[in-house]
Amino acid sequence: MSSTSSVDLLNWLRRLHVMTVKEFLQLLRDAVLLIFIAYAFTADIYLAGAGVSLQLREAALVILDHDKSASSRELLSRFMPPNFRITGEASHPRHAMDLLDQGDAMAVIDIGPAFEKSLISQEPATVQIQIDTTNSVLGFLASSYAQQITGKYGLEIALKKLGAAGGNAATGPVILDDHRVWFNPNQNDAWFMSISELLTIITLFSVLLPGAAMVREKERGTVEQLLVAPLSAFQIMFPKVLAMTTVILIGCAISLSVVIAGIFHVPIKGSLTLFFAVTALYVFTTAGLGLFISTIARNLAQVGMMTVLVFTPMLFLSGAWTPPEAMPAWMRTVMYASPLHYYIDTGFGILLKGAGMDILWDEVLEMALLGSVIFGLGMWRFRKQFE
Amino acid sequence: MNIRRISAVAQKEWREIVRDKVFFSLAFIVPVAMMILLGYGLSMDVENIPLTIVDYDRSALSRDYAYRFIGSRYFDFKGYTAHEHDLRVLLTDNRVRAAIIIPPDFEKNLLAGRPSAVQTLIDGTFPFRAQTTKGYIIAINSAVSMDFMTDHLSRTKGISIQKARELLHPVILETRYLYNQSLKSIWSLAPKLIMLILMISPPFLTALGVVREKESGSIYNIYVSTVSRAEFLIGKIFPYLAISLVNAVILFLLATGLFGAPFKGNVIVFFASTLAYVCCTTGIGLVASVFVRTQTAAMIVTSIITLVPAVLYSGVLIPVFSLEKTAQVVAHLLPAMYYTNIVTACFMKGTGIAYFWQDVLVLAGYAAGLMILGYLLFRKRTSS
Repeated sequence: MSSTSSVDLLNWLRRLHVMTVKEFLQLLRDAVLLIFIAYAFTADIYLAGAGVSLQLREAALVILDHDKSASSRELLSRFMPPNFRITGEASHPRHAMDLLDQGDAMAVIDIGPAFEKSLISQEPATVQIQIDTTNSVLGFLASSYAQQITGKYGLEIALKKLGAAGGNAATGPVILDDHRVWFNPNQNDAWFMSISELLTIITLFSVLLPGAAMVREKERGTVEQLLVAPLSAFQIMFPKVLAMTTVILIGCAISLSVVIAGIFHVPIKGSLTLFFAVTALYVFTTAGLGLFISTIARNLAQVGMMTVLVFTPMLFLSGAWTPPEAMPAWMRTVMYASPLHYYIDTGFGILLKGAGMDILWDEVLEMALLGSVIFGLGMWRFRKQFE
Repeated sequence: MNIRRISAVAQKEWREIVRDKVFFSLAFIVPVAMMILLGYGLSMDVENIPLTIVDYDRSALSRDYAYRFIGSRYFDFKGYTAHEHDLRVLLTDNRVRAAIIIPPDFEKNLLAGRPSAVQTLIDGTFPFRAQTTKGYIIAINSAVSMDFMTDHLSRTKGISIQKARELLHPVILETRYLYNQSLKSIWSLAPKLIMLILMISPPFLTALGVVREKESGSIYNIYVSTVSRAEFLIGKIFPYLAISLVNAVILFLLATGLFGAPFKGNVIVFFASTLAYVCCTTGIGLVASVFVRTQTAAMIVTSIITLVPAVLYSGVLIPVFSLEKTAQVVAHLLPAMYYTNIVTACFMKGTGIAYFWQDVLVLAGYAAGLMILGYLLFRKRTSS
């Protein structure tokens, strides 16, 4: 009795092994696909990390200085990088407006002819700034930076005057702002962007590859062979996911060591073993989503469109590129169903914050639960569609 | 070139698309669903930042100060924390993104006219959010400081509060917001979503359509037929172009109707430019499809060469001038940036074609270039 069951198990494992080898061969023989996987895990992540910053930097500022005094020059000299960059001087308001219309300037600062005179005579001196708010968030940021710069300049002038009259600024009742930014002290965008891009690429491959591999069998009719073979649904599906997961984990390792730690010097604080374990779990979860899609779709073109339908909102709304806190509450609730939502927290948590399982256990658990539900649904649908 | 042969290919392709009901519906559902989901959900606004406060002073003044943050819509107050040792876990577990530590003697120092240092800890994993959060904190702190200074000045000098405030604010900055006076995010976003979606969807459709024939082998019918390369490609692309143009109109209606984005430009000019852009993105799909043999590869290739660059290098989230030099070069090499300029000009600025004819020209040139490239690379012989 026990010998037959061990033979059964051996057979079961042998079939699983044969299927896994088949999946690897099929994947490795598509050269273009492999080249693009390699590109995605290296060059693409490098491009995203090297050049892209989501912060407002060097907003193109055009000046209209009617005063041309020492004071106006002093004020203008404070509009400098990183937040602003003076790109030119307009001769006339109309010229300035043209530059704004063409998109060559983001803001125009206009200093009236009596600026210095008003400052000396202690009358309010007015400065105008016009800001292009076609991008509302950045327009608002530019305006608050300009407000900070002029406020500070004004206060210094006021205190200098009052100082001459006996007031004292350094010991005044002010709040000394002492802020510290943790986990990325220098606000290096490359750290964020490269990791974000890596998580995106992993997501893309783990939704698309297993689902596509499944539907290809349907489209070509080879799935009929698999169905008449002594294979269970699990033995058909699991090797596909296993092959893709291996490829994705290898790509992930290359990308972490060569690009993220190698080129961008991201200090990897947490345990890499934990990161790879969580990534494997995540790939399985998301692959379940791809397999589920593959049971609904009849051909690859449908898989493609459905993937876009699932992948794009997942990517944009889980917090990979945008701060998730500002989303409407109902949308945030929907995103609890997105595995990427948990993966972003754990990924950044392990890599940048050095978090361990003691802190991340709840996210990992939720991801695992979500994964088993999705994977289970996929298997159930797979069996059902051929009945 | 023979119009009849082109139309035969186009008709065959059209039938193939329409008969796959699921695919045909998805071709329209995907752009609409993306527009609605992203329109409501995608936002670069930094609001509701989870915040905790450690108050060592526990005075009336420190509570007033804390309330400046608690009452702000930019912060989502998660309760006081007893000791700063606990902050590390809270920040690491994403339960808060910022923490403010009010020192002991906060009230005593300020009332005595001495400064008081307030420490702030910010989660820096997402630099954009950290930078904006820092901006909010600096703004609140300097407003509070200004109030204390004004108070102090009026008491020590014996002048009115009003007068003291004027003395401390010698320079007044008047801000005028152009093109989007009420700073509505959705007005900025909706037009750019048209750009984004038309970047993602047409190449996908086209690449899948062409590669499908290669993978299933039905392309041999074309190889042995009298249809020339150009006739085949034009006929093949035509239905996808038509679908994408219909989508462009739907997206335009959603942007203006559902999201209420103002459209100030010329509709005809806008759609002419959109045609050039859709030809571009369809062309990207065409060129991608020439290189790959399987539909899986086609999907991966098109999504990597369109999706990520369209988000990062197009000006949808970040303006092109804020990019590094290399990234600016990349941005200029891709069509998305030019169309973003056009969309912004037509929707928000209401400027005429005189301001963006170069962008239209670049797009048209780009489209022509891609089509020619696709034509040159497409062979009616299999390579192996």
